[in-house]
Amino acid sequence: MTQITSSSEQITSGEIRAHLRERSAATLRRRIFVSKVMTVFCWAAIVLAAIPLVALLLRLFVKGIPVLLKSGFFTQLPQQPTLFDQTNTGGVSNAIIGTIAMIVYATLASVPIGIIVGIYTAESDSKFASVIRVIASTMVGAPSILMGLFAFGVIVVQLKLGFSILAGSFALSVLMLPVLISSTEIAVRNVPTTLREAGLALGAKPSTTSLRIVLPAATTGIVTGAILAISRAVGETAPILLVIGGAYAITWKPNDPGSALSVSMYQDVSSSYDSLRDQAWGIGLLLVLVIFVLSFAARIWAARKQKVQR
Amino acid sequence: MVVAANSSQTAAGAEGRRPSASARGAYEWTLLVVASLFGIVSVWFVGTIIWQSVSTFQSQGLYLLTGVNWVPGAGTGQPSQYGGRAMIIGTIETSLIAMVIAVVIGTGTALAINFFVPQKMKTFVATVVELLAAVPSVVYGVWGMLVLAPWFLNTIGPFLSSLPGGTAVLGTTVAGKSLLLAGIVLAIMVLPTYVAISREVIGAVPHELVEASLSLGATRWQTLWRTVIPTARIGLFGATSLSLGRAIGETVAVSLVCGGSVGTTFKPLEPGVTIAGWIATQWGEAVGSDQIGALFALGAILMVVSLAMSMFSRRLVAQQRRAAAVV
Amino acid sequence: MNENMVNMMNALEDQAIVDPRSGPIAMRLNNVSVAFNGRMAVRDVTFDVPANNVTALIGPSGSGKTTLLRSLNRLHDLTKGAKVTGEILLGDEDIYSGGIAPTVLRSRIGMVFQRPNPFPTMSLYDNVVSGLRFNGVKKKSILDAAAEESLRAAALWDEIKDRLKAHGSTLSGGQQQRLCIARALAVEPEVLLMDEPTSALDPIATQKIEELISQLKARVTIVIVTHNMQQAARVSDLTAFLLMGEDRAGEQIEVAPTLKLFSQPDDPRTMDYIQGRFG
Repeated sequence: MTQITSSSEQITSGEIRAHLRERSAATLRRRIFVSKVMTVFCWAAIVLAAIPLVALLLRLFVKGIPVLLKSGFFTQLPQQPTLFDQTNTGGVSNAIIGTIAMIVYATLASVPIGIIVGIYTAESDSKFASVIRVIASTMVGAPSILMGLFAFGVIVVQLKLGFSILAGSFALSVLMLPVLISSTEIAVRNVPTTLREAGLALGAKPSTTSLRIVLPAATTGIVTGAILAISRAVGETAPILLVIGGAYAITWKPNDPGSALSVSMYQDVSSSYDSLRDQAWGIGLLLVLVIFVLSFAARIWAARKQKVQR
Repeated sequence: MVVAANSSQTAAGAEGRRPSASARGAYEWTLLVVASLFGIVSVWFVGTIIWQSVSTFQSQGLYLLTGVNWVPGAGTGQPSQYGGRAMIIGTIETSLIAMVIAVVIGTGTALAINFFVPQKMKTFVATVVELLAAVPSVVYGVWGMLVLAPWFLNTIGPFLSSLPGGTAVLGTTVAGKSLLLAGIVLAIMVLPTYVAISREVIGAVPHELVEASLSLGATRWQTLWRTVIPTARIGLFGATSLSLGRAIGETVAVSLVCGGSVGTTFKPLEPGVTIAGWIATQWGEAVGSDQIGALFALGAILMVVSLAMSMFSRRLVAQQRRAAAVV
Repeated sequence: MNENMVNMMNALEDQAIVDPRSGPIAMRLNNVSVAFNGRMAVRDVTFDVPANNVTALIGPSGSGKTTLLRSLNRLHDLTKGAKVTGEILLGDEDIYSGGIAPTVLRSRIGMVFQRPNPFPTMSLYDNVVSGLRFNGVKKKSILDAAAEESLRAAALWDEIKDRLKAHGSTLSGGQQQRLCIARALAVEPEVLLMDEPTSALDPIATQKIEELISQLKARVTIVIVTHNMQQAARVSDLTAFLLMGEDRAGEQIEVAPTLKLFSQPDDPRTMDYIQGRFG
C-alpha cells in the first residue's frame, strides 16, 4: 500500500493541488456537519451519563434522609414488620456495629501487610518481586464474590470457625490487600530517586534510607491509598453476604455471626414490606455518606500535605 | 564503597544489586517474608476455589458449561444436575450490553469533559465522577430494582416489544427485571470508572497533536476521532477491560435486577441469571449440600475468565506501551 | 550638509535594500490584538506579510510572537477566553469574518510546531498524507504522488523512501521535523507558519531546516517565529521585532527588511535587542 509506484511521477503537483482543492471543497459541508453532529453527541453523552447518576443520588437522598432522621435508626435493633405494624422496622444498630467491627479487623490485618508488600514490590526488582507485582495487579480485578468463596472455604470449611464476623473480615482483607499493595507501590515509586540517592550518598544503609527518608516522603500516597481501600470495603456486599451468617444482635466478637450495613440493605430491598424497602434507601445513603466523607478526607488531606511539602 | 557505587544507580537498580542473602538485614527479611505470605495467600485463594469445585467438575463434566438444568438431587434420590449454560450466557450478555453502552457514552463523556466543558468546571466534574465511582454497587442494584424495574415494566419494555420484530428478538418483559435491565444497571455502574480513567488518558494526549491535526484542515471531530482516540487507545483499552472485569464479576447489583430465573431463550427483555448473581442467590439453600460445590465450580469459571482477562489486558497494555515508548 | 543631501543619502540606502513588501502581499495584519480573558497579550500589530518571502517574528520571551503567530491560523479558537481583534487578511478575505471556515483556513495556512509532533500511531506515509485524508482525498494515486512530492520538497524523500511504513518514532529529531514540514506542505498551503521550528534540534539538523526554509519560499509564504536572531538574519527577508510593553502585552517595535533591521534599525530598542542588551 505504501509502495509508491513510478506511475505517480506522472501526476503533476498541479493535479494534486487541483484534486485536493476539489475534494476539500466537495467534502467540506459533510465534514463540518459530521463534526457538529458528533459534538452534539459528546454533549448528549455527558448528559446521558449524568441523568441516571444524578437521579440515583437524588432518589437516595430524598428517600434516605427521612430514614436516617427516624428515631432509633442508629440505636435500635432491627424489627421484622408484622401485618399489624407494618412500619416498625426498628434500626440497624447491629449492622452498624457489624460493619465497623469487620472494617476494623480487616484494616488491622490487611493494611500492615499490604503496605509492607507494596514497599517490597516497589523497592525490589527481583524475579520474585515481579511475580508478586503481577499477582497483586491481577487480583485487583478479581470479582469480589470470589473472596467470599475463599473466606467460606478457609474459615468455614477448612478452619471450621463457622459463619462469622471473622469470615467477613477475612474476605474484606483479601479484597483490600491487592489494592493496598498497588497504591503503596505507586506512592513509594513516586518518591524522587534523588531523595533516595541523597540518603545513600550520605552513607546510610538502604534499609535506613527506606525507613527514614523514602517512607516518610511516601506517607501521603500510602495513607490516601489505604483510606480509599477502606472506603471500597465499607460498601462491599457480595463477599460478606456469603459468610457473615446474619445476626439480630449487637456483637463485636470475631467468632460470632454478625450483620453488615450492605448486607442488610440487600436483604431489606428484597422484602415485601414497603417499610423495609424504604429502610434500604436509608442504609444506602448512610453508606454513600460514609464513603464520600472518607474519600473527601483522603483528598483534602493529601492536598494539604502536598502544599506543606512544597 | 558499596554505598557509593549504589548511589550512582537508580533506586531500583541499587536494590537489585543486593541479591546475596548475607546482605539482608531484618528490614529486608521482613519485606521478603511478608511478601511471601501474600504469595501464599494468593495461591491458597486459587487453590481453595479449585479444590472446592473439583467434585462438581468430576460429576458434571462438560454439562457444567452446556447444561440447561440446575436441579439439586439432595432428597430426591436422583443425581444432581448442575448446568451452567444460562449463567454463562447471561453473564456474557449482560456484560456485552453494559460495555457497549458504557464505552460509547463514556468515551463521548470523556471527550466532552476534555474538550468542551469549560476549564473551570473540569476539576469539579472530574471530582464528581471519581466520587460516583466509589458508590457501592448494592446502591445501584437497589435503585435499579426499585426505580428502573417498574419503569421498564410499564414503559420501556412494552415500547421495545411493540417495535417491529421486538417480541421476536427482545422478548416480552414480565416484571421489568431482565437481562437488558441488568446490562443497563451495569453500564450505569461502570460508567464512572470508565469515564474516570478514559478522561485521564484522553487528557494525556499531547495538545500539540491536536493542534497539528487542526492545522492540517481537520475538523474538530476528525481531530478527536483520527488523532486523539488512536493516540489514547492503549489507555482506553485499559479502561474498557477494567470496566468489563467489574461487569462480569458484579454480583448484588445484577442479582437484584436480572430476574433470577434459569431460562433458555436469553432474550434481553426476559429474566435471566449471571454466574455471580446466581452464586449469591443460591448460596443460602446450597450450604451443606453438593450444590455448594457447583457454585464453587461456577466461581472457578468466573475466576479463570477474569484472571485470564486481566493478565491478557495487562500484557497487551505493556506491549503497546513498549512499542509506544520508542517515541 | 543641507537637508537635501541627507534625504538623498537615505534614499540611496533605501534603494540598496529591496523591501519585499513592494511585491505581492500574502497576508495583511491591521491593528491585530490578542487577549486572554480580557488580559492583553499582543497589542495593535500592523504589518504586511510579503508573498513568497520569509517573514521572521523576533523578540524576547513574553513579547507575544508565538501568540501572534497562532492568531494567524485561528489556533486560539481552541482556547476559551481568547479574543483576537483587528483585521487579518489572507488575500482579500478577513480570516475572522466568518467568510472562511476555520477548517478551510487552516488547510490554507499550515503550521509547524516547536517540537516535532508526528502522529505517533501513524506510519511515515500516513503522517504525510494525513492532511489530504482529513480533506477528503481518498484516491491512492493522488496520495502517493502527494506523499512523494511533499517529502521531496522537505528534502526527506531519499532518506525514508524505503521505509514509509515505519513509524515516526524511528526518525531523528531533525527528520521528524522535516516530516512535519512535509505533512504541512502536502495540503498545499499558501502560507506556512513556523513556531521556533528548530528550538528542539541540534545545530546540524537546524542548519538543514534553515536551508529548507530558503528553498521553500519559492513555493509557500513563510512566517517564522524564532528566538535566535542569527537564524532570523540568515533565513528571513522581512523581520518584525516585538517587545513586551508596560502592561506585559507584546507590542510591535519595528518591522523592516531583515538586512535593514539588523544593520540600521530605526528604533533604539531594536538596536539594544540585536546587540544583546536584553532578552
